[in-house]
Amino acid sequence: MGKTTKKKSKIPYHKIFIEQAPSAIAMFDKDMCYLAVSDYWINEYSLYGVELIGQCHYDIFPEITEDSKQLYQECINKELNVFDEIPFKFKDGTLKWHSVNIQPWYITKNEVGGLFIHTIDITPSKEEEFKKARTKEIFAQTKETAKIGTWEANINTRKVYWSTMVRKIHEVSENYIPTIEDALNYYEEHQSRPRVTKIINDALDKGFSFDFEAKLITAKDNYKWVRVVGKPEIIDGNLTRVFGIIQDISEAKSSRNQLNKAYAQLRAVYNSESTAIFSTDSNGVINHFNKGAELLLGYTASEMEGKETPLGFLLIDEVNTFRQDLALQYGKNPEGFSHYKDLTNEDVNDTREWTYVCKDGSTLSVMGTVSAVKNELGNNIGYIAVSTDISEIKQYQNELLAKNELLNFAERLTVMGHWQWNPFDDIAKWSKSLFTILEMDETENLSFSSFLNFVHPDDQQMVSENIELALKDKKFTSFTTRMITTKGKIRTIHLAGVVLTNSKGEVLELMGTGQDITEITMAEKKLRGLLESAPDAIIIVNEQGYIQLINKQTETLFQYEPEELLKQSVENFIPNLLAPIKAAKFSNVATTRQIGVIEELVGLRKNGQKIPISITMGPVEWEDELVVSLGIRDITKQKEAARKILKSKENLELLAHRLTEQNRQLADFTHITSHNLRAPVSNLNSLLEIYKTTDSHAIRESLFEKFETVINHLSLTLNTLIEALKSKGPHSEEDIQEIRFEDIFNSVKDVLAGEILKSGVSIKTDFSKCPIIEYHKIYLDSIFLNLIGNSIKYKSKERKPEIEIESFKQEGKIMLEFRDNGLGIDLEQHGHKLFGLNKVFHRHPDAKGVGLFLTKSQIEAMGGTIYATSKVDVGTTFTINF
Amino acid sequence: MKNTPKICIIDDDYIYRYTVVKKMETMHLAANTMDFEDGEVAMEFILKNLKIDSELPDVIFLDIDMPVMDGFQFMKEFLKIENQLSKKITIYMISSSLDPLDIERARKIHSISDYFVKPIKTEQLQSVFSTL
Repeated sequence: MGKTTKKKSKIPYHKIFIEQAPSAIAMFDKDMCYLAVSDYWINEYSLYGVELIGQCHYDIFPEITEDSKQLYQECINKELNVFDEIPFKFKDGTLKWHSVNIQPWYITKNEVGGLFIHTIDITPSKEEEFKKARTKEIFAQTKETAKIGTWEANINTRKVYWSTMVRKIHEVSENYIPTIEDALNYYEEHQSRPRVTKIINDALDKGFSFDFEAKLITAKDNYKWVRVVGKPEIIDGNLTRVFGIIQDISEAKSSRNQLNKAYAQLRAVYNSESTAIFSTDSNGVINHFNKGAELLLGYTASEMEGKETPLGFLLIDEVNTFRQDLALQYGKNPEGFSHYKDLTNEDVNDTREWTYVCKDGSTLSVMGTVSAVKNELGNNIGYIAVSTDISEIKQYQNELLAKNELLNFAERLTVMGHWQWNPFDDIAKWSKSLFTILEMDETENLSFSSFLNFVHPDDQQMVSENIELALKDKKFTSFTTRMITTKGKIRTIHLAGVVLTNSKGEVLELMGTGQDITEITMAEKKLRGLLESAPDAIIIVNEQGYIQLINKQTETLFQYEPEELLKQSVENFIPNLLAPIKAAKFSNVATTRQIGVIEELVGLRKNGQKIPISITMGPVEWEDELVVSLGIRDITKQKEAARKILKSKENLELLAHRLTEQNRQLADFTHITSHNLRAPVSNLNSLLEIYKTTDSHAIRESLFEKFETVINHLSLTLNTLIEALKSKGPHSEEDIQEIRFEDIFNSVKDVLAGEILKSGVSIKTDFSKCPIIEYHKIYLDSIFLNLIGNSIKYKSKERKPEIEIESFKQEGKIMLEFRDNGLGIDLEQHGHKLFGLNKVFHRHPDAKGVGLFLTKSQIEAMGGTIYATSKVDVGTTFTINF
Repeated sequence: MKNTPKICIIDDDYIYRYTVVKKMETMHLAANTMDFEDGEVAMEFILKNLKIDSELPDVIFLDIDMPVMDGFQFMKEFLKIENQLSKKITIYMISSSLDPLDIERARKIHSISDYFVKPIKTEQLQSVFSTL
């Protein structure tokens, strides 16, 4: 400041001059302290009442930037004269542009005393300038965004200059300069190129301006729509150049196309036969009635348009409901409400089911959307209704409802319901049937715990464990639990289900069925009880013979554990049963049959023991399968009893046979006593009676002769009987011996030597087939003696007597045959007394009727038989079966 | 009874035949007797004299047990020719058999008037003659 004081004399003038200067000007010393300031300055910088003189400029304006400070310092130091436009930001934030003139002032010619700063507010002009710049910028940006480029074709060089944008549009490189022909080649060759070529040629030849739209194919093969505006420049009558702009209008074009498309689609919808569309004017009269409506309702558009209202085919009830609903929706008085008059600009859009009455009187269900039609002012000028026939959907819906009904019915019938449970929200849903089963109200809210409350206390833990397991394994294993209904009844419920998971395998939901199997369980219990109470072992097998069901008795009978029997083939336990099972299966339903009683059927015990069994089997329908039930009975005791009975029967038969034989022999004896013993006795009585009553000596003499005869006869008969009775007694071992037939024959031949010689009989023997027999020798002697004697006695006088004797074996038994050619016997007449005592068939002097009787008695006593075949006057054959 | 009755005894037992004749004599029953030792010879005689009533007997005493043709066999043959006879012949079956089978069998043959068990008793002979 000391320096300034030296020039003090000059200051006042300066000061006054500055103070009154008509612009903002301030004078500073070298330290930028105010020496003088104009009123304009004070005004300009709003420094009223501020003591400026002596104050540093920088203290007054702390906002002065370092750049400005540096500039001022440079001006002082280098004696610079600066003229610049500087923005000045005021404390209040307003920005002003100042044109600033900074000039040093000199104390002496070479010594700077400080600075003059002169500022002019140029903010308004600055803003004008900014505006211009901004407009330019916006224009450029607009060019960019509007994709407008400029071009210029030089007629002489035939080169075309393209701006950056034009190159971008053509997708060519930055410095690409085409010829006119090159440029034309970018246009699409069929439609656009010929047209554009003609336009360009006209412009070049005739100087026509142009403005066209065309399609071009870029260097990168993209299609673009462009608008090209061009203007030829003619100087002195000569065409010098053509210039203009080109704009990419692809997007606009495509919007237009889309609009066209949308419109076409709208037309298509309107013309659609599957959608009925009609609209009404503000009076409710139909003004459009499309093809679909015609088809649906049977009316033609010409019948409807301009003539009818939709009330002609709507149900008045539905229309009234529609009106009411609209009135409510828009807060209007429903009384006398009209959606034509009372809704002036509301955006009505109502979708509901309508019933249309067709021209032929039939009705159909449609889903219809009614929308208000507005004019450009937004006022309602009518309605448009778009409807689709939902009869089929309706039908499906009805079918679905019916099926649901059916499901409910089925659930009721099978006492089954279905359930869903979301374990996270713990929300359960039950079908009606489940509520019914548990006698609950359907309204009750359900959760797992509320479900568990119904479970029988004894089963709760099991149920919880099952559910936990299902959640853990994501697999629901069906189980049966008892549940208690709201009325305290215990029901047995079978729960089956699935676990639904998301793609990550996390459990979403459990769902399944619950079936009340109380009745089934009871039935099962009954069946089980029935099975267990049966006295027999019962096995139910399927048609392949695999065991399905057994009772306790089966385990006892076979001595196996149930699990060793179940699912096994029944053949393992009862061999040879499969064939009868299959037969039973294919036989008539409900016929049972018994096997094993007669044929041998055995059951195999675990320890290998075989037990005789009888089986009653019958086909049974069980769980939709034809199975065979086997009632198995251990018949060991029966078999034993049967064996005993059989044995007893054999014994009895033997006894009966013996008794019969004895009876027959007894009858023989009755006969013998009646006839053969009583006859002589009665004779004796008669003779005695005569003897007593006669006095004649001569008669008495003759009577004694007769007594003798009778007594002799009686003795013979008694002797024969004794002989016969003896043969029935026991035989001692010594009597039985091995005898050669030949030997016996020879000894008998000696005894009968006289008769043989006298009769001249020839006897042929053949004992070669069976030469030896073990027999009672005396009896065999008697057989040969009697039969040979018989043959000789009853020889035919007509023929030379012949006898053939042959021994042989038949069915393991020794046989002996005596054949003669004698008189023969009429066996029809005399067969019954052939072997009787004292029976004779010939009035033969030697016929005594004793021999054959004795022979037969002896043979029968030895367990054999004798019979005869004979033909009168041909011969007789006696056959002995030893 | 004008004529003496003809009694025919068919029996193989000549002792019996003798006793019957003697018994009738001692009972003073007048009779002409003829005897045959078996059914066959008796039948031969009847057939020979089928139409000669004077030769045919009024009464036959028929034994059961006989050789060749017994009493029942005889009856079988007799029944065949009975309707050819003009003379009534009364047949008594007389046997030593007490066997009910024999008695029953005889009863069933209607042409047999009675069955007597040997020896024939006085009363029985009496009744035979009284019914003549």
